[in-house]
Amino acid sequence: MTALSINLGAVLALVRRDAKIFISYRFRFATQLVSTFFGLVLFYYLSRIVGHNVFHTSNEYFAFAVIGLTVMEVLGATLAALPLSLRQELVAGTFERLVLSPFGAIGAVASMMVFPFLLSAVSALITLTLATLVFGMNLAWSTAAYAIPVALLGAAAFAPFSLLIAASVLSVKQAGAGAGFFVTGISLIGGFFFPVSLLPSWIRWASDVQPFTPALQLLRHLLVGTPATSSAWLTVAKLAGFAVVLVPASLVVLHRAIRFAQRRGTIIEY
Amino acid sequence: MNSHAAEMVRAPVRPSTAPSALPRLAVDGVSKRWGRRRSLLVLDDVDVELGASQLVAIVGENGAGKTTFLRILSGLICPDRGTVRVDGLDPERNRREYQRRIGFLAAASTGLYARLNVRDHIDFWARIALVPPERRAVRCLETMAVFDLLEIASRRVDRISMGQRQRLRLAMAFLHEPNLLLLDEPYNSLDGRSAALLASALRASRSRGGTAVVCYALGQEPTGDLAFDTTYILQDGRLRQT
Repeated sequence: MTALSINLGAVLALVRRDAKIFISYRFRFATQLVSTFFGLVLFYYLSRIVGHNVFHTSNEYFAFAVIGLTVMEVLGATLAALPLSLRQELVAGTFERLVLSPFGAIGAVASMMVFPFLLSAVSALITLTLATLVFGMNLAWSTAAYAIPVALLGAAAFAPFSLLIAASVLSVKQAGAGAGFFVTGISLIGGFFFPVSLLPSWIRWASDVQPFTPALQLLRHLLVGTPATSSAWLTVAKLAGFAVVLVPASLVVLHRAIRFAQRRGTIIEY
Repeated sequence: MNSHAAEMVRAPVRPSTAPSALPRLAVDGVSKRWGRRRSLLVLDDVDVELGASQLVAIVGENGAGKTTFLRILSGLICPDRGTVRVDGLDPERNRREYQRRIGFLAAASTGLYARLNVRDHIDFWARIALVPPERRAVRCLETMAVFDLLEIASRRVDRISMGQRQRLRLAMAFLHEPNLLLLDEPYNSLDGRSAALLASALRASRSRGGTAVVCYALGQEPTGDLAFDTTYILQDGRLRQT
């Protein structure tokens, strides 16, 4: 038995734990689906009143917003869910057990992102299905399959932000609230619900220095045929670059945050 | 205990690590201060060395620093000064191997997932404790049997009693057959029968070379048939043998 498979077993244990806790609340997923449906209804009717100077048709804006909504769900799950569950672990005293496990706190914190991501991926799939079947959104079937590797790459590029927020939760405890602001801020500058070209010029640069906007634009291109603003390969390279640089950097920061909390003795505080 | 579980319990346990000249636990000059300005000295230059198969008690008044000391030994928090070694391993540099050797029971009744059942907890801990897959199922059954958890294995933690929760927490500390058990107030919520189960588990651990440090408050001597090799008292930041 290789060390890799034993470690993978530990990752799966954390995923299974999160899944079991999630399933133990019977109506949680159903209520999530209902709120997704309401989100679709909202944007469907909003799209009917959108002027046609930026989008050619109402359906074009609806498709634009649906992809924004879908990626927003994934972002919310990967960025906001981890700090929240980490804080719950601190309060319940279960984080202490993770720190003292041979698998370790860093592996555990990173693994805690997996289930929320998988859940949000399922939710995103349902959102796209509903948007296509119920609201008549035109999916670009010929390129839609390419969205899967791009979404995975995007998740790898988003993950470090989540790890950094988790590190700040361990250092200053209440930082989880910052995740909400971060997601809202990103949704404004990232072009989730309106094109970044509508932003004032002084803030437009912010759309170019993070991975969310390029991931979103490429996913829109692949899923609903929105014209690409730059080469797909360039976007893929950009996302890969973010992941390659930021994942190790964020793991180092997380490691230091844990060591800092252990030295100060605050790792047991909440 | 059902017959299958009983058979599992009789199965030979994994032998301890090879005999070594290194002490099981070596604490050298450990000091720790708490407080906003680090004004409260809780541990003052504490030294202690324990060999294999030792059963040690540390007693002290509330706030004497017992929990802080155990947390430092476990590697959960760092001392301000001094070093801790378990089988010669450093808690920071050899983190994974160090943690494989530690079984820690925190004080209070925390550290459980209310919505998971007893079996889920045991299985979860076995996996993140990196118990080899070929031994995992056996160890889970053995440990649940030792702490009499088989009958409540499928019950959710928020639906079992405090004593049952404490037995589950103890089972998780013993599950991966650690060389050094650090038990902080383990008798909390345990009735006489459960205390006897704990005593039996400690004896079994000792028979394979395991060492245990048990902390409890002064005047709350543990029940159950258990004799400590040494009892230390923690007072004014210093550890002295009684």
